Amino acid sequence: MLLMFPLVLLLATLSYGAGVPADGIATGTSGYKSHVEPFFSTYCIKCHGPDKSKGKITLHTLDGDLSTGKELERWELILEMVESGEMPPEDEKQPGQADRKAVAKWIDSGLRDYLKKSSESAPAATARRLTNFEYQNTMRDLLGFELKLIDNLPEDPVKPYHFNNTAQFMLMGMEQMDRYKEGARRVMASAIVDPGKPEIHRTVRTWEANDAATGMGGDEIGIYGNRRNTPASGMGIKSWPSTGEYRIRIKASAILPKGIEQMPLRLLMGYNIGENLAMLQVEPVGTVELRNNVDSPKVYEFRGRIENHPAKPGVVTAKGVGPATMNITPQNLYDDGRLNDSLDALAMPRAVIESIEFEAPVADVWPPVHHTRILFDSPLRASDPAAYVREVLERFMSRAFRRPVTKDELNRFVKIHGIIAAEVDSFEQAMRETLAIVLVSPQFLYHTIAEDSAAMRQYELASRLSYFLWGSMPDEELMNLAAKGQLENPAVIEKQVRRLLADQRSHDFVDNFTTQWLSIDKMKTVKINTSLFPRFLYLVSGGERAGTEMPYRPTIRDFMHDETIGFIAELIKRNASVLNIVDSDFAYLNQPLAAHYGIEGVQGNKLRPVPIKPEHHLGGLLTQGSMLIGNSTGSAPHPIYRAVWLREAILGDEVKPPPADVPALSDTAGDSAANAVTIKDLLALHRKKESCNECHVRLDPWGIPFEHYNATGRFQPMVPKEGTRVRGFNRELDKDLDGYLAYLGSINTVKIMADARVPHGPTVDGMQDLKAYLLKDRKDEIAQALLRKLLTYSIGRELTFRDRFAVEQLFQEAKTNGFKFQDMIVAICQSETFRGIQRKDN
Amino acid sequence: MAPKSWHMNRRELLRGGGMALALPFLNGMNLAKAAVGKELPKRMVVSYIAYGVYEPSGDNGVHHDWNWWPCKDAGPLTFNKSAAPFEPLKEYVSYLRGLDHAGGYALGGHSSGDVFATGANMVAQEKTNNISIDQLAAKMNGHKTRFPSLVLGTEGGTGSYGQCKTLSHYGPGRPIPSMHRPQEIFNRMFNPYAGDSVEQIRGQLKREASVLDLMMEQSASLNNQLGKADQRKMDEYLESIRALEQRVERTSQWTHEPLPKVDTKGLNLEVSHKDPQEYIRCMYDLIFLAFQTDSTRFASLMLESEASQTSEMWNYATYALGYKGATHDIAHKRPPESGLWDNWRAKQHAYFLQRLRDTPEGDGNMLDRTVVLWGSAHPHASHNTQNYPIHLAGGNALGFKHGKLHGFEGDKKVPLANLFVSMLNAVDVPTERFADSTGEMTQVRG
Repeated sequence: MLLMFPLVLLLATLSYGAGVPADGIATGTSGYKSHVEPFFSTYCIKCHGPDKSKGKITLHTLDGDLSTGKELERWELILEMVESGEMPPEDEKQPGQADRKAVAKWIDSGLRDYLKKSSESAPAATARRLTNFEYQNTMRDLLGFELKLIDNLPEDPVKPYHFNNTAQFMLMGMEQMDRYKEGARRVMASAIVDPGKPEIHRTVRTWEANDAATGMGGDEIGIYGNRRNTPASGMGIKSWPSTGEYRIRIKASAILPKGIEQMPLRLLMGYNIGENLAMLQVEPVGTVELRNNVDSPKVYEFRGRIENHPAKPGVVTAKGVGPATMNITPQNLYDDGRLNDSLDALAMPRAVIESIEFEAPVADVWPPVHHTRILFDSPLRASDPAAYVREVLERFMSRAFRRPVTKDELNRFVKIHGIIAAEVDSFEQAMRETLAIVLVSPQFLYHTIAEDSAAMRQYELASRLSYFLWGSMPDEELMNLAAKGQLENPAVIEKQVRRLLADQRSHDFVDNFTTQWLSIDKMKTVKINTSLFPRFLYLVSGGERAGTEMPYRPTIRDFMHDETIGFIAELIKRNASVLNIVDSDFAYLNQPLAAHYGIEGVQGNKLRPVPIKPEHHLGGLLTQGSMLIGNSTGSAPHPIYRAVWLREAILGDEVKPPPADVPALSDTAGDSAANAVTIKDLLALHRKKESCNECHVRLDPWGIPFEHYNATGRFQPMVPKEGTRVRGFNRELDKDLDGYLAYLGSINTVKIMADARVPHGPTVDGMQDLKAYLLKDRKDEIAQALLRKLLTYSIGRELTFRDRFAVEQLFQEAKTNGFKFQDMIVAICQSETFRGIQRKDN
Repeated sequence: MAPKSWHMNRRELLRGGGMALALPFLNGMNLAKAAVGKELPKRMVVSYIAYGVYEPSGDNGVHHDWNWWPCKDAGPLTFNKSAAPFEPLKEYVSYLRGLDHAGGYALGGHSSGDVFATGANMVAQEKTNNISIDQLAAKMNGHKTRFPSLVLGTEGGTGSYGQCKTLSHYGPGRPIPSMHRPQEIFNRMFNPYAGDSVEQIRGQLKREASVLDLMMEQSASLNNQLGKADQRKMDEYLESIRALEQRVERTSQWTHEPLPKVDTKGLNLEVSHKDPQEYIRCMYDLIFLAFQTDSTRFASLMLESEASQTSEMWNYATYALGYKGATHDIAHKRPPESGLWDNWRAKQHAYFLQRLRDTPEGDGNMLDRTVVLWGSAHPHASHNTQNYPIHLAGGNALGFKHGKLHGFEGDKKVPLANLFVSMLNAVDVPTERFADSTGEMTQVRG
């Protein structure tokens, strides 16, 4: 819906008095002439006619004949405006409810009649390539191990509040192709091992407690690390293979102060993080929660792929290039939200590391499973090598293409193998090269490409389900159902959808969908004002990098992403009402987040549902840090950003960017916050300019009720008196965060005004009011907006007016069912829109 | 309507896909060899700054020290505070006021950057953009060097429509991802064989060529199974492969030429975005090295994109000037903040020009043979898309005349594309028309 088109104050000279017949307006052009056109003349034409065309929408050129199939997008837009009451604007003459409904019904049935008669259905999505994360996941599930391939690919395009899996965005160019080729070779180099036993690389290091009496023991890691030559600086690896699985065993325990039950210990591998380098690169190995004390050390085991960890390139000297280095670094990630306050490290949990052991490659059997899965044992291997190659190719290609390989395709690849085999030294290398070509084929890189037949449609459907809910290829169960032709059965679909959602892999769907739907990524680059929020980020305290953010230490902000994703995942898991996105009785938190939001009794870095009370001022998405920070300036809340977010993400409106030639808010909110001028007043000034007011009168009211939540997402309803100079954190004066908060409390004496009258609605005062209003009067809109987002994402194309009635049917069904989240997803997957994979030549 | 010769040619080139382009590449080495010792290179750079510059409005505003434009009136240049870094380069720079692309008018300030180097009319007929001038030059003359062009940016990738993070486009719908990691750029340019011998590389390339052939064949066989819309998608795929084939071909030919020796003194390839000055200068240095070694002659550099809110560029103003706010916001400020920011950007660009100026080449210096465009399609904070800030430097030996501020306002209005026509002709791309051009820009070259 477009709400950006304000109309000027012009009194209607014509009055609409035709009245509505009891049985509604006659269909077709006769009804148009008798009722609809006069309705438009009375209420719309002043601004959307020959004289003015606000928002580039005009109504006077419409001929009222919907059966021609022309201008139907425009008709749908008009319908939405009339139906929702968004138009005419509030300060214009309003039609009566009966007239409004009758006109809406007339347009609705006109659209419906057209679509019923029209032989065209909604266009199916055209062939589209896998998105980057789908590509990586597909490789993972195809090969049985995960390599980080995304970093080497050109980024998928991002458009705020839109999904990047639509065909129009998913272009292919030479660079993309080149990177695919590199990726394919990389995975094949890892997937197929050379014959014979590999060389095993092993490094072990141990630490002693020794001078523990003088402070932290030589084998301990405190919350701020420890001295050199303790496990805090980790273990350099002597040598490692270029490919393969590694195993790290670490013998560890924890010293836990009273009341603290566990501490998270994380391992990193890559550059040595102790070095003062701006471009350190590391990859996490994994995290364990240590609960055992020093009397009972335990061995913890981690596994991963060595290819994913960046080695620091050797130093170049006159003599040549030195050896590359790699380091394993354990980190104590205990964080109760006070880390920046120079706590006594001895009073906090410490990890004790007795030893670290690195070994690679490891495999329970050799050659590893991912190798024998491709080059399996077969009697043909010895007896008929050519037939064996064919067998290998057939099995691999059918999995890679997510459907049975055709005879023609197989023949081509047998030929390709022949050409390659003649040029390379070994059977393994020929297989690697041939299969790498399989992995740059369109049949692999694009969503299922196959001839249009009933049998193939089953496989397409299997892929649709798995790429929607896992962002990856179908598993064996789905493929078997497709082979048996059972995937058209709604009961089977339901069972499969619930199974896919229950699988760990569905996390990727929730993450990818939610991140784009809510556009929360921008939170990561909002520049947090560290003097006003001294304890929000972790900054390097000294040296060349002083004042910059501490790398490789997760901050509250990182957890806020997980909070939002975890929250949505939890709603799906519970099959709870989607209206929980507006308000909920739980939040999804860990200790650092709970400390930030002011909730006690949550321990550890693992996120989980936590019951909340009204005094926490939490619940739903609207109060989550990811959204509040992403739509702030880093110093102050930004009601316009937040309003845009609410309308785009939650209400499903499309908000156009500010048009050309509109002067911007001259002052940034950041400065105004420091000077304690309320943004509400600033916006009021802004709205006094007519050119700004036209749009902002519809926008600002949605953002003002968020004003009690500050730039870091905390509830902070008070501000200083106007003109007060707020000083930043000062270590001498404030000592710690509590000290600074006490100072802020002493000057924050004025309650922030957060009341605004929402367009076409009541005055809401603050967040609680806003939520109550949304849940009372806007719930259908909100549920439908989410339904449309899910459907769009699931089919990989934008919805058009042709989808209107399919959406309506899904919506009614969901409404009857209480808008249950998981059920909604099931219904989408059972719908014609999702399943109808007819190909159209357009 | 008058025929638009380049538009015609561009379409033909595209329709023919790689085939139309294959010829010059096949003859590439011969041409390159012929060129050696005969003629010095002719180079071109296109660079872009975003979010507008400080430009008090022309009619009623008072000109002052922090205006992006160095002086008030058209004529010989004098330099205010904002433009001061260019003063030592006076005889190498021109400011051109009043130019823009009509095709960008309706895009809005935050999107018109897409067409800065293409002049495409993205609202009307060329919705998916069109070829950029650097790529047109690379198509014609790119075979003379190891790399046809160098496409750099501070954020990397292509971005989306309306939010491009690259200036360079092969043609409609095919933006070229910009590279932004100094180490990676350096390696791809100067260490492309990554330790393998030339013989090994040649062997690999030969195999690569036959593999690509096979890929073409196997993908082409799919085409008859597909609907028309899908076939269009598949054409995209096939063209990508064709382009790769050509690249393999030229790479293979270039293995017969020794790799250049590069002086990496003072080059910090590990520099991070947290130090914007070092980082940006490193990117400029990489272009300089590419030119110095004649590895390429055409470069584009997206110094700032119009949509940097999800990248570190968003914080450049903070890192560089200690400004407490986003890079975008500083452009909305009044002086001194906005002026300091413009001045900071000018310093970086002047550093690059100075480096070219200080390096002798032939009878003159490298800047004499390099025409450098620097500017924006987003003139100032109002999001207006007319009257771009345009700064042209160098190319004095390619026919350019400098030292003036030129005004093209009012009845003197000509399209920015006229300048493009002159730039293209200067680098031996015979051009009559480009995008909406109406002729050459004789004021700066004629």
